[in-house]
Amino acid sequence: MSLAAEAFVSQIAAAEPWPENATLYQPLKEDQILLSDCASSLAVQAYLRMCGLPVQVVCRANAEYMSPSGKIPFIHVGNQVVSELGPIVQFTKAKGHSLSDGLDDVQRAEMKAYMELVNNMLLTAELFIQWCDDATAAEISRPRYSSPYSWPLNNILAYQKQWEVRRKMNAIGWGGKTLEQVYEDVSQCCQALSQRLGTQPYFFSKQPTELDALVFGHLFTIITTRLTSGELAERIKGFSNLLSFCRRIEQTYFEDKSSST
Amino acid sequence: ALSELHFNMLHIDGLGRTKEDLLTYEIADVFRAKSLIDVMKKSHEARQKLLRLGIFRKVEVLIDTSRGEGALPNGLDVTFEVTELRRLTGSYNTMVGNNEGSMVLGLKLPNALGRAEKLTFQFSYGTKETSYGLSFFKPQPGNFEPFPSICTNQTLKWEGVWRELGCLARTPSFAIRKESGHTLKSSLSHAMVIDTRNSSILPRRGGLLRIHQELAGFTGGDVSFLKEDFEIQLNKSLFWDSVLSASLWSGLVLPIGDKPTSIADRFYLGGPTSIRGFSMYSVGPQSEGDYLGGEAYWAGGLHLYTPLPFRPAKGGFGDLFRTHFFLNAGNLCNLNYGEGPKAHLKKLAECVRWSYGLGVLLRLGNIARLELNYCIPMGVQSGDRICDGVQFGAGIRFL
Repeated sequence: MSLAAEAFVSQIAAAEPWPENATLYQPLKEDQILLSDCASSLAVQAYLRMCGLPVQVVCRANAEYMSPSGKIPFIHVGNQVVSELGPIVQFTKAKGHSLSDGLDDVQRAEMKAYMELVNNMLLTAELFIQWCDDATAAEISRPRYSSPYSWPLNNILAYQKQWEVRRKMNAIGWGGKTLEQVYEDVSQCCQALSQRLGTQPYFFSKQPTELDALVFGHLFTIITTRLTSGELAERIKGFSNLLSFCRRIEQTYFEDKSSST
Repeated sequence: ALSELHFNMLHIDGLGRTKEDLLTYEIADVFRAKSLIDVMKKSHEARQKLLRLGIFRKVEVLIDTSRGEGALPNGLDVTFEVTELRRLTGSYNTMVGNNEGSMVLGLKLPNALGRAEKLTFQFSYGTKETSYGLSFFKPQPGNFEPFPSICTNQTLKWEGVWRELGCLARTPSFAIRKESGHTLKSSLSHAMVIDTRNSSILPRRGGLLRIHQELAGFTGGDVSFLKEDFEIQLNKSLFWDSVLSASLWSGLVLPIGDKPTSIADRFYLGGPTSIRGFSMYSVGPQSEGDYLGGEAYWAGGLHLYTPLPFRPAKGGFGDLFRTHFFLNAGNLCNLNYGEGPKAHLKKLAECVRWSYGLGVLLRLGNIARLELNYCIPMGVQSGDRICDGVQFGAGIRFL
């Protein structure tokens, strides 16, 4: 978000406390939502639970089009609509809730760097596997993405989305990668995260931050989602401290409901 | 002798893909001709009917004495020489609708399957809306009892429309945001029009009855509804070259199944072409200033059209202008099922919006009209946006 937009959102947001009827929107859970959107949505849900902010999850087939930025998830709080984890963190900060206040500048910079790593590596890998791997695209992504629509609109929208993601992959240089290389990249990313986490409960010692929410969202979704190949989940399960990290967060913040796809 | 000449044989030349049985209905009358004059008259009428089908570029009639095999003395042969339209035609038009303009590119297959079916694909880019449409149109060589066939017109149409709704403003109300996304409408519609007016823009006499129904969802698509709307207009010339005109519009859309109606299928009320004195589509249910439309509506208008005072430029340019005094009224509401039709009728009858005023009209050819009115809106409910005072309107269909 630009500085001016951030200032504007903060001003408006600060005016009111967090309401009881805040809602989070995502695509239909059973039939439509894909791995990448599910991971992003879970990250935001984890973050809000860590802040102690109540939010209701509503599934709508047109959630992607309702979102102001076109990305899932988005929250509807009072009169405002905010999408994606970054702006949502800013929004809650303006209302006086923050998880990273206790960090010093160096740590905050480190946190931002790791969050960028997750977005650039894990999220991109998820999108690649979903849309650039022909088997997954044909068996899982296209049928799920197009499930709420009728023929021929379902095919048109699914292919449109696939072309869009493939164009984006080409633009960032992932177009030529093979599935093996992507799995390697994911392993390296997890290696870095595992090293940073070490034996601590959370990335920054005792208290969770937005980085923990983001990492949990992606890793937990990957290990609990069935894809055409279980390779990706296996790579992550190789890091035992990351596995126990996921289990810990699930038990602490999600024990009242099940959150697997 | 001339009086002994009678009809003998009929030929049709030039048929390519058109099926013969389509034409037999149109030219059936010619077979009943009894004399030369009758043959000429009925052939001429048949020629008009063939041209009206919209599948021939040219139709020529040749009447000659019988020759060749089986020729009778005093027999007449009638030959229709037809030139079919090309299989595929393209068009580029600009269109003026109700307060909006657009550019329309079209591709048409007239006579797609040989029985005057029209298949058209249209792309329209306008000031308010961008759309793509594919439509298939099959005329019925109907038997229109009890209505006289000169003035009725029935059409049966299948429409497939891919709609993408998006928010144009930066902060639309959430109710509008919830309607964003793609929908596919696949519907069958039937329209019956009886038009006895002498002109469609500023008629002096006659009436119009138009009944239209549309059923969506049974041939595919994401939306399911039954929509009915009707329009009636009556005109009567009075003394001093003035015309009294009354019109009534009404419509209803019933969703089928449990999904609510889409904002793209609902009715809207208000504006210079409907209830004058209110802003465009700014009457009825709304959320934070964005109007959501309604599932049932009615609107009525009463006009007195007179020539311009003192009749400047009479017989020429001045005849394109008229002044009018009007009274418009109407209401729009949603259907909250389970309450029964009586409750809905009651809702449509209470809190009626209405307006009155006067203005000047300019007729543009036989297609459109411009209006400049001074309006006084009344019965304004909270949430409606009014345009009291001077209001300008351009369009083809006015209340």
